[in-house]
Amino acid sequence: MFIEKLKEAVRKILPEVDVVIGYRQGFDPLHATPYFLDKPEQVDQLIWNPLCVQNLCSYIPFLKGKVGVIVKGCDSRAIVQYMQEKLITRENIKVIGVPCLRVISVKKVMAAINQQTVQEVTFEGDNIIVKIPEGPKTIPSADVAPRKCATCQLATPLQYDVLAGEAIQSNKPQDTFEETKEFEKLSLEERRAYWEKEFDRCIRCYACRNACPMCICQDKCIAESRDPHWTSQRANVTEKAMFHMIHGLHLAGRCISCEECERVCPMDIPVAKIKKKISMDLKELFGYEAGMNPDDTPPMYTFKVEEATIEEHEI
Amino acid sequence: MRVGVFICHCGNNIAGTVEVAKVAEAARMMPGVAFATTYMYTCSEPGQEEIKEAIKREKLDRVVVAACSPRMHEVTFRRTVEKTGLNRYFFEMANIREHCSWIGEDKELNTNKAIEAIKLAVEKAKQNKPLFPAKFKINKRVLVIGGGVAGMQAALDCADGGLDVVLVEKSPSVGGMMARLDKTFPTVDCSICILGPKMVDVSQHEKINLYAYSEIEEIKGYVGNYQIKIRKKATYVDWSKCTGCGACIEKCPSRNAFDYFNFGVAPARAINIPFPQAIPKKAKIDAQFCRQFIKGKCGVCAKFCPVGAINYEMKDEIVTEDVGAIIVASGYGLIDLDKLPEYGGGRYPDVISGIQYERILNASGPTSGHIERPSDHAEPKTIVFVSCAGSRDKSIGIPYCSNFCCMYIAKQAILTKDHIPDSRSYVFYMDIRSPGKGYDEFTRRAQEEYGVQYIRGRVSRIYPKGKKMIVKGADTLLGTQVEIEADLVVLATAVTATTDARTLAEKLHISYDPHGFYVESHPKLRPVETNTSGVFLAGACQGPKDIPASVGQGSAAAAKVLSIFSKDTLESDPQIARVNTNICVGCRKCIGTCPFGAIEEQQLRDGRIIANVIETVCAGCGICNSTCPCGAIQLQHFTDNQLLAEVNALCLT
Repeated sequence: MFIEKLKEAVRKILPEVDVVIGYRQGFDPLHATPYFLDKPEQVDQLIWNPLCVQNLCSYIPFLKGKVGVIVKGCDSRAIVQYMQEKLITRENIKVIGVPCLRVISVKKVMAAINQQTVQEVTFEGDNIIVKIPEGPKTIPSADVAPRKCATCQLATPLQYDVLAGEAIQSNKPQDTFEETKEFEKLSLEERRAYWEKEFDRCIRCYACRNACPMCICQDKCIAESRDPHWTSQRANVTEKAMFHMIHGLHLAGRCISCEECERVCPMDIPVAKIKKKISMDLKELFGYEAGMNPDDTPPMYTFKVEEATIEEHEI
Repeated sequence: MRVGVFICHCGNNIAGTVEVAKVAEAARMMPGVAFATTYMYTCSEPGQEEIKEAIKREKLDRVVVAACSPRMHEVTFRRTVEKTGLNRYFFEMANIREHCSWIGEDKELNTNKAIEAIKLAVEKAKQNKPLFPAKFKINKRVLVIGGGVAGMQAALDCADGGLDVVLVEKSPSVGGMMARLDKTFPTVDCSICILGPKMVDVSQHEKINLYAYSEIEEIKGYVGNYQIKIRKKATYVDWSKCTGCGACIEKCPSRNAFDYFNFGVAPARAINIPFPQAIPKKAKIDAQFCRQFIKGKCGVCAKFCPVGAINYEMKDEIVTEDVGAIIVASGYGLIDLDKLPEYGGGRYPDVISGIQYERILNASGPTSGHIERPSDHAEPKTIVFVSCAGSRDKSIGIPYCSNFCCMYIAKQAILTKDHIPDSRSYVFYMDIRSPGKGYDEFTRRAQEEYGVQYIRGRVSRIYPKGKKMIVKGADTLLGTQVEIEADLVVLATAVTATTDARTLAEKLHISYDPHGFYVESHPKLRPVETNTSGVFLAGACQGPKDIPASVGQGSAAAAKVLSIFSKDTLESDPQIARVNTNICVGCRKCIGTCPFGAIEEQQLRDGRIIANVIETVCAGCGICNSTCPCGAIQLQHFTDNQLLAEVNALCLT
């Protein structure tokens, strides 16, 4: 059983670190929740299944001491990006890598079962079987996977100290930003109308920011600051849009496309779309993808008199 | 808060297209404005008095002057405000001339725009915080980069003014381009004869420390306190022993080295001294031509050197010098002939550049001053000079005039006639540009007394025919095509920036134009200053320039250095970045983006790592400000809140 391998890996690492972050069962069978453990007897509470969606790396820049963390392929880009930005000391982090081909979106499952109470969840092959009061319902995993899994290239994490299980290769096509390019074909007015409608729902709960592994300003976020006073507390769409644009731009060349922002949004706003557009631009302009190579320098965080890929305007 | 607004008529410059009275009336309605008035010339003495009186009478605590660009008079008004006891940064300027009255003719629109500009300035002024400059000591030594005539003049003037001078010259001898010239226009006096004494002065002046054959490796610091790393390139000759006797050169078996000093007119030896008057007169080895370095055996020079100065193991050496100011006199380059394919692109030996011809004319040059053409060493009888070879030619990216070619062509034509009385010279020209003192008379003399034939038109093609070069061109005054069978063709090749001008500019943090020439602080009023304080320009690195202009700039730059060094301390500009330690999360992104290396890590007592700005190094560019995700680092006087106040004033009301 895979879970046994994982538990063994955690048991092995536990004496070397102050805390290990993993997953345990949440309030119902459909929800996994982050679990911080520091005692061997807690290890048995660990779970692993495609519902372990959270990017646990988000915690590590703020934890002192040595930390062990369970990391999927997509999550591992956060580790690489932290290394690029020197936000962690790699030696202090013990990465327990888990191979993963696909996770499952709780929101999509809930929609498929019409928001009914979940009594039990099991996995069989490529299906998830959800037991609801009217009986078990079998759903193909691919139908309820988040968007990012369709183009995932990182079945095995980029960084790990221990790998629970065997390294596997991704079998998915590469992301070609088709959706973004399609969206860009809309006129300026159409796009504006689209975003005004989407942002209007925003309740400024900042869940997207809090879940984002790259949002490192913590409680110093300028969205809530008066000095500097970039956004006010007014509940209008311009202020909401301003916040989302700031979030997007602060992630320029840093967003690792984990799409945690969109996953956690209680209002179902497609906020990852903004970040994707910026990631696309960064890739086109600088040939750079965040969180892939620890030796890279994020293009927005250096100073060059001339950029090789940007043509200067002649005076 | 009580803001006073003073609106300047600037004669008719502003009042002509802006209704200033209406602007004042609107200003009085703005929140926080306690007083608004107009004045004919606010910058005049009575205008400034009026500001001072109003500050006292109306108890103003912020002042806005709506007038010209802050570049001109911001300093004036800051001083005015400061004299009444207010902090000078409580002053704001609204530019309603360059941004307003001068660019539009519609009085109503201009008036509205002026009102908006003032609205912004008032909101900004209300957000302004008092700032105080820090004082720091200055190191009264000066670095001069380039030992051409401009650099030497600057070095001598600084040294005579009592300053220690570090003079860094890239080539093995000082003298620059002028040392290569035969005669100088318009007096036709011997170039090295007038330059030589200056070169000797430079080498003997006790205040001048000359680093020849050296380049600038790294520049750190700021006005008053620069740390310079100088790379002394390996000469493979111990200059402390070398007497310049020349025995090594005579015996050197590698006789096909490129002669940099003579621009390749004739081959040189692998070990060489560039010219007889060289200072320092020391030999150096060009390793890429030396048999000892190529084949690993030879050692002839070492054998014949009477003082045992040859050292093949020599390595580049880095020395550090601390200075307080820098004069850049790095000179110019010339366009390569291969950029001019219609003129042979360097394929024909008898099509040469003006500077090569200068070396041929020169008595200490490879032909000892006999005019011979490179192909067969015959004396040319028909010589064609082509001006603007590359200059004023947008198609190769050189739209500018090279400044001195018209004059040196006239000089070379005159000298040619002196050397070979039965020769004929032709000059193809676009315009004769001779605006200096005695210059036009000189070009007239070439035509009238020396019979040089000037043909107004451009040369379309040069090609060989037997031993002759055929020069095809247009005579636009006669409206015909002309074809001249020439023995020798001299191209007045375009002046360019030196190949390493841009790299040096980046080390100095000064700006350059699209052609690589350094940009002065103001084209008319600050011609030798740069926008980096403490760095000054002299000579052709700023743009093509003849000798008198270069010398003038050398002295001007020296005067600027002497004037900043007349004080013992300098005031630092408080308009720099500052970190709010409460907000900084220590992400260190600002450290990576700062182009000046002005931000370092700092550990707080609670162990938190945050950013810290090194005050004296920060240039106030604001890049860190836009990098910081949480707005912890703020450029003083241009903080986010100050700028947001302006944006809100314009967009929200």
